Amino acid sequence: MKILIIEDEPSLRELMERTLTKEHYIVETAENYAQAEEKLALYNYDCILLDIMLPDGNGLHLLEELKAQDKRESVIIISARDSLEDKILGLEQGADDYLPKPFHLMELTARIRSVIRRSQGNGKKGYTLGNVYLDPESHRVEVEGQELPLLKKEFDILAYFMQRPGHLVDKAVLAEAVWGDHADQADNFHFVYAQMKNLRRKLEEAGATIEIKVVYGFGYKLAVNQ
Amino acid sequence: MKLIYRIALRLSLVLLPLIALWGALFYFTMVDEINDEADDALENYSELIIIRMLAGQEPPRINEGSNNSYSITPVDSDYAAQRPHIDYYDAEVYIPEKEETEPARVLATIFQGNDGLYYELKVATPTFEKDDLLQTILGWTIFLYFLLLITVISVTVLVFYRNLQPLYALLRWLDEYIPGRESRPVPNNTKITEFQQLNTAAQKAVDRSEALFEQQKQFIGNASHELQTPLAVLSSRMEWLLDNTELSETQMNELIEMKRTLNHTVRLNKTLLLLTKIENNQFPESTQVDLATMIREQKEIYDEIYASREIRCTLELPDAFPVQMNESLSSVLISNLLKNAYRHSSEGAMIDVRIEGRTLTISNDGEQALDTEHIFERFYKKSKQDGSTGLGLALVKAIALLYNIEVRYHYSEKRHYFTLIWP
Repeated sequence: MKILIIEDEPSLRELMERTLTKEHYIVETAENYAQAEEKLALYNYDCILLDIMLPDGNGLHLLEELKAQDKRESVIIISARDSLEDKILGLEQGADDYLPKPFHLMELTARIRSVIRRSQGNGKKGYTLGNVYLDPESHRVEVEGQELPLLKKEFDILAYFMQRPGHLVDKAVLAEAVWGDHADQADNFHFVYAQMKNLRRKLEEAGATIEIKVVYGFGYKLAVNQ
Repeated sequence: MKLIYRIALRLSLVLLPLIALWGALFYFTMVDEINDEADDALENYSELIIIRMLAGQEPPRINEGSNNSYSITPVDSDYAAQRPHIDYYDAEVYIPEKEETEPARVLATIFQGNDGLYYELKVATPTFEKDDLLQTILGWTIFLYFLLLITVISVTVLVFYRNLQPLYALLRWLDEYIPGRESRPVPNNTKITEFQQLNTAAQKAVDRSEALFEQQKQFIGNASHELQTPLAVLSSRMEWLLDNTELSETQMNELIEMKRTLNHTVRLNKTLLLLTKIENNQFPESTQVDLATMIREQKEIYDEIYASREIRCTLELPDAFPVQMNESLSSVLISNLLKNAYRHSSEGAMIDVRIEGRTLTISNDGEQALDTEHIFERFYKKSKQDGSTGLGLALVKAIALLYNIEVRYHYSEKRHYFTLIWP
């Protein structure tokens, strides 16, 4: 899997590179429009992370060029401008996803995985981990081929972890991801705990080989039991 | 108090003593003049009688068809010496023909007869009723006062409104003016120099504040914008540290706390950006949004999030409450008000959400009234509550302003009431 990061902020670029390399992607970087154009002309990538605000040009033009060259790279737009117009314009120009800054690195890897999965479009569309299969479109979860009925929030939590296996997830971040902005000022996380308890029990009872582990007092991590 | 009322009041206050003074003067001059005339007549009459007496002729008959009367009484010399020899005064005199007493002007003259004795001659002529005159004059004075008042005030009002049209135009304009919104220029179609100056001054002041407002808005927007990338870097680096290094529980705990604080900063920054965008009117697209359904959905979420507090939230909503708004803004509007109600409710408190007509009211129990003046201002916080941005109600206000929704807060019977009224 080859990924091109087009980002002018050196610190963020370096960090994205480091993270993605650790996820076993082959990563190349471009720090401005000219470099990006050159690399895109020479090589093919599976996924492009595109900051649309570059010092020497608008990243959206790169999108147009890709389209003109009929290249089939997946593109995720990364922008500090969290505006609807940019998002709509970017998606209309053929981008596959839009990630506003600041984002969680986990979010980035999850999005890349999802975009690549979609573009490959082979076989099952969902995520498989251990003996658990999760299909985000039909909202189905199967353990060893058997359907596991989950409530909506339980499903959302599991989907969130399935896209971020092995990563430590802060309770507060999870709450916001699943319950939205509504949870941003909650004074305790009992509601996360209640859902989590049920989900973990259901997974265990169904004999799933994956487990959402509690990490100290503040977070969770999805692990595959060997 | 309106200026015109003040002018009217002042005018009537000034007119009152003026007219009273005039009435008094009129009365005394009138009495004086009448007495003068009567005195002249009496003098002639008494002279005639005295001449006849001294000439030894028959005195005239008591009554010669007029109401004049006279009497001659001899007096001793002591009395004559004490009294003035000619004395005019008012008295009540009995008129035999009419069989009643009437006010009369009397002239008492003391003279020495041919026999060397003193006589007092009293001639009287009936005169006017002073009380009647006083009453009449008083009545007419009051009438005059009101007539003058009405005339003066109506002329003043007419002139006032005619000439102050430009002032009222300016006031109307200022009423409509909202900082940061497109507004028409200050009306300036007057030929009166003072008003022209006033209008020009107003336009200048508005331009200046508009420029300042714009600058400030841009600054907040730019600052929040510039912060996005460094915040992203910081957050990502912490995340990397958490995921990729061996950390002790304490280190991890510290790092998570740092991340939460950072997330709070990110949220603050995003909210500021959102506020700037709302104020810049960058949410043009609007659709029909059903707020009743939205409230029902959000209530479920908050019930879950705040389940541990056992808050009872009752809804009294119609099946649908469609409004024309930007969807995400309507969600921000409702969720900020609902979230506030839940967040600031203690255990077992009651929240009530109701829609009546085009009015949405969200109320919740609270110990103390909030500062109505400042609650909608940015960063107004009553307490240092964790996770609060202090921008929630500022957002509500900004969104309401954008859609001409009236926002009200009041406190009664230990409950906070937030009311939104759609036009």
